[in-house]
Amino acid sequence: MMQALRRRIKVYGAFAAMAPKDYFAYTAWVWVEFIAQFLTMTIFVHFWRAVYANTSTLNGLNLPQTLNYIMLAQVLAPLVQTRTIFQFGFLIQNGQMAIELLRPVDFQARVLVDTLGWLGMYALLKTPLLLIAVILFGLQLPTSPAVWLAFGILLVLGRAVVFYFDWIFACLAFYTTETWGLSVVRVGVATFFSGILIPIAMMPGWLQQLAGAMPFAQAIYVPTSLLSGIASLADAPRVLLIQLGWLIALAILSRAVFNVAIRKVTVQGG
Amino acid sequence: MRRYLTLYWYFLLQRFKILLEYRANFMIGASSTIILQIAGLLTIWVVMGQIPDLNGWGFDEVLLVYGLITLAKSINHMFADNLWTIGWSYVRSGQFDRFLVRPIDPLFHLLADRFCHDGIGNFLVGAALVAKSTASLGIAWTPFNALYLAVAVLSGGAIFIALNLITATSVFWITESIPVTQVIFNTHEFAQYPLTIYHRGIQILLTWVLPYGLASFYPASFLLGREVGALAWLSPVVALALLVIAFRVWLFGLRHYSGTGS
Repeated sequence: MMQALRRRIKVYGAFAAMAPKDYFAYTAWVWVEFIAQFLTMTIFVHFWRAVYANTSTLNGLNLPQTLNYIMLAQVLAPLVQTRTIFQFGFLIQNGQMAIELLRPVDFQARVLVDTLGWLGMYALLKTPLLLIAVILFGLQLPTSPAVWLAFGILLVLGRAVVFYFDWIFACLAFYTTETWGLSVVRVGVATFFSGILIPIAMMPGWLQQLAGAMPFAQAIYVPTSLLSGIASLADAPRVLLIQLGWLIALAILSRAVFNVAIRKVTVQGG
Repeated sequence: MRRYLTLYWYFLLQRFKILLEYRANFMIGASSTIILQIAGLLTIWVVMGQIPDLNGWGFDEVLLVYGLITLAKSINHMFADNLWTIGWSYVRSGQFDRFLVRPIDPLFHLLADRFCHDGIGNFLVGAALVAKSTASLGIAWTPFNALYLAVAVLSGGAIFIALNLITATSVFWITESIPVTQVIFNTHEFAQYPLTIYHRGIQILLTWVLPYGLASFYPASFLLGREVGALAWLSPVVALALLVIAFRVWLFGLRHYSGTGS
């Protein structure tokens, strides 16, 4: 039993370690994402400064709070702007999906480990961006280790929630071949309702309700609110429970949906 | 010229035959960019609903700027999207060599090869924004204004295409040009808002170096009666000059192309 568990940890550990190797194969992309995030951050900082030119608070948030939030959300943004459905479509079209399903390790667990393993790498890669934001735009980061720890937990759980949602959504790739368009829709919806562009607290009631009904805020709005100082640490246990609820429900649902969808699999050559 | 127009028409017909073979895919693709635009627009709507103006620009005035850049972008998206994919779908696969042995210009062939229907969504959003904002602002559709808008949008589209062509040319040295194109292309997002909200340096960059501002902020200012001087008239000139430069750069790159051996 113990041996089997150890073997399992070793196998999945190897997959988690693949994430940084994979990424450095595409160093150009590291730079592009970095520059793109920096540009967008610059635009947002100027935009919000102009917004606050004639008012000191908006929905109870002042300019430094909003800027803190917007900059941190921008750093995390790529984590929810994922195109799993497009990758599924690709795997199905070139026949790789059959191979993934034949492997002796669980396909979903492998990709999940890969996704979460990547978060560590991500933290490392984005540290310079945070420093630039601190120096150029006066980003204020918390000093309390407890806040950072809670942020880390909320971020990992939130990312896992989005992962399981993506898994369900990506199963559409078994039924349609237009996966690029669907992935664009997915990114557009997530960009708004995760709270990357505006803190969800600033939205009108009906938009807040929509955002609450979708899983994307769990990975951006929830952890970013804590790290930017909009939400307090005392609130963390409550949001953590909500996250766990999302996580368990979507994890179970994703496995059920996937098992139904693969019966449809018609691998197109390969 | 006439021959190329006829040819383009045939390419377009073929492309639509392919696209309409998969109608659902066509609809999803064409409308997907609308969703992406809605995210940005909702943000402006939510924020501007709570403040009187953005640096002296009202909600509809900001929408006009946003709409103009979206229209210009959609022209690039519909007619020159292959400048993005030249690396992985043409050069790396060896498909590009096919263009070089044909009796038509390789750049024309590249652009005509794939009309991108995803850009239709962007076009509709941009057109709707310009229509809505001009109506609310009381900007009359006189023949002069209509002509001015058409020239501004076409020039804007040409600026997008020219900058993408310059960056896409890097494909001949590094076989994948998307990272280079992406970085330059992304700066257009500055021009979605009135340039006056930025530092002087950013304004100069967006006017003289990567002149996306000429596609949105300056024409919008002119239509709103805001004083921008000669810059209101500069976009067609700059667009033409950029196209010439871009084509030269492209020809220079083409001479360095040696195939991938696949």
